[in-house]
Amino acid sequence: MRTTESSRVRRFAIAALLVLAWACSASEQGADGKTVPRLAFVTNGVASFWVIAEKGARAAGKATGTKVSVHMPAEGIADQKRILEDLVTRRIDGIAVSPIDPANQTELLNATAARTNLITHDSDAPDSKRVCYIGMDNYAAGRSCGQLVKEALPDGGQVFLFIGRLEQDNARRRRQGVIDELLARSHDPARYDPPGQPLVGESYTILGTLTDQFDRAVGKANAEDALSKHPEVDALVGLFAYNPPLCLAALEQAGKLGEIVVIGFDEADETLRGIQDGTVYGTVVQDPYQYGYRSIAVLAALARGDRTLLPASGFIDIPARQIRAAEVDAFWADLRAKTDGR
Amino acid sequence: MKKILGILGLLIAICVFTSVASPYFLTAFNIENLLRRSALFGILSIGAGIVIMGRGIDLSIGSVVCLTGIVTPWLLTEHGWSVGPAVVVVLGLALTLGVAHGLLITRLGLQPFLVTLCGLLLYRGIARGLTADQTQGFRGEFAALRHLGNGRIPVPGSDSFALPVPCLIVGILAVGAAVLLHRTVYGRHLLAVGSNEEAARYSGIDTRRVTTVSYALCSLLAGLGGLLFVLDVGSAQPVDFGNFYELYAIAAAVLGGCSLRGGVGTITGILIGAAVMQVLRNMITLTDWIPDTVEYAVIGAVILAGVVVDELVKRWAAARARNLADTG
Repeated sequence: MRTTESSRVRRFAIAALLVLAWACSASEQGADGKTVPRLAFVTNGVASFWVIAEKGARAAGKATGTKVSVHMPAEGIADQKRILEDLVTRRIDGIAVSPIDPANQTELLNATAARTNLITHDSDAPDSKRVCYIGMDNYAAGRSCGQLVKEALPDGGQVFLFIGRLEQDNARRRRQGVIDELLARSHDPARYDPPGQPLVGESYTILGTLTDQFDRAVGKANAEDALSKHPEVDALVGLFAYNPPLCLAALEQAGKLGEIVVIGFDEADETLRGIQDGTVYGTVVQDPYQYGYRSIAVLAALARGDRTLLPASGFIDIPARQIRAAEVDAFWADLRAKTDGR
Repeated sequence: MKKILGILGLLIAICVFTSVASPYFLTAFNIENLLRRSALFGILSIGAGIVIMGRGIDLSIGSVVCLTGIVTPWLLTEHGWSVGPAVVVVLGLALTLGVAHGLLITRLGLQPFLVTLCGLLLYRGIARGLTADQTQGFRGEFAALRHLGNGRIPVPGSDSFALPVPCLIVGILAVGAAVLLHRTVYGRHLLAVGSNEEAARYSGIDTRRVTTVSYALCSLLAGLGGLLFVLDVGSAQPVDFGNFYELYAIAAAVLGGCSLRGGVGTITGILIGAAVMQVLRNMITLTDWIPDTVEYAVIGAVILAGVVVDELVKRWAAARARNLADTG
């Protein structure tokens, strides 16, 4: 007796589950019953930068009539691998990914590219079989930052650079762009000046470059030490998002805020406030919204067999923008609108 | 067997649900991925289970995974070691850490929670310091060694499906662990220590040795897991590699029937517990309508619902049996 009753309960539970699952699977199709291309945007972690990119990706999904899912790996590289495998399993029609460790992920990226349209954004994996890369040219962005330094110090001066680390390609190129612009050199992204000795140009001197391996305390100590060692410095240039705020903190302690100018990268709140207050001359910002938007636009075209959006070089440049006192209010308002809520 | 019916039912329910919700769930590619992930987490979970059966806890598993996952490519690529010595040193290191945990707990009488919590902080810190927080990877080399983590063994009669190598490894380990627990004197002693340490000691069991060995095995398995994880993924970042894995391992062991009060547990149950976690995450990515952001919430809710239903069914069955006995 007991078994029949409990098996009835079990049968009912299974039936209910199946109906629920079926109802969910039905939502895989578009409203008109036709299947729409399904595309995925995969980031390299969880950050407000990516929330802006997600907005761009979703807007492009609406504009192109595609179904977009956004995935932010919360547990690092193993998590990103799992997400890519599961997306491929779903026979997704295209993936845009910001690889966490491109040099060691070639195999995974190639396996993914063999099964779907794969593009990279934000950070490239040139050795993989990705169709194209959408992002910023860090060398050009560095030169753009160098221009801001020149505007801030029109009569020349001495400059100190701060950056997270130089082992990664984007950091190296970004720094080199600043140096080449200040020393009025030709365009050569492959050039590399080791950070040790000062670089002297006609009107600008780069006194040195200090790295902090992403340790904020070290970054601040670097700025403090540079100020004590080179009291004659005219400008501090912070090349990773958190560097300009640390430069400002060190200057405030030294009582030299406003006396020595800061030029920054990215859009930390302190950096933007510094531009409003006049302690920061300007900053160079990336455009994550466009990373998301253009990635999905390219994938949507690829899914429909249209390859006209692909450049011959395999690189779609989303140029960095310069933000000075004149642009900062509008930029900040727009940024808040894009990051507020979902 | 009865103890693992609940968790087995939960696993089957999730699998049936996902296979109906997503046409891709039952593809060879996906099943292979799930088997590989469950196997890798299963190795950690067996270790966690052994410690829990002896009424201990090991919170350092994730950091041991990080340490061996970082040190292996670091020795091989940065320092040019050959494969044999590197693997021996890495596993030896993990074993030594486990023995150290065991000795601190049994000889000095420190709390297991505290000792292994300090291990959690210590080993991740060492891994980050050793490498100055730099990502460590194989740079496309050591394909033969990496086969242990990402290799596939062809299955006769099937072109699309192949058995992931970690499955074979976890299979061997599981059989070994089951024999150790249920067919050897050590296993009996471990369960006795877990049930009632004082009674075990008075009956002549060297409880300190038994406990120390359980921690040593746990760290060794965590070290092996970390090695296989990095062989599978290809590189590791010191700051987040293996983060929270101790909780996944402990959860799998407890879901699989190990009681945190010690003395009970089966290896089969632990492996099913590890699989439940992996299938749940797979379900969330395979079906479009669950946003990734609520992933942890879904995992938590489904597992909680599963154990609540399991408990209610058990009580209901027990009550019915009592009623039948009374009236009949």
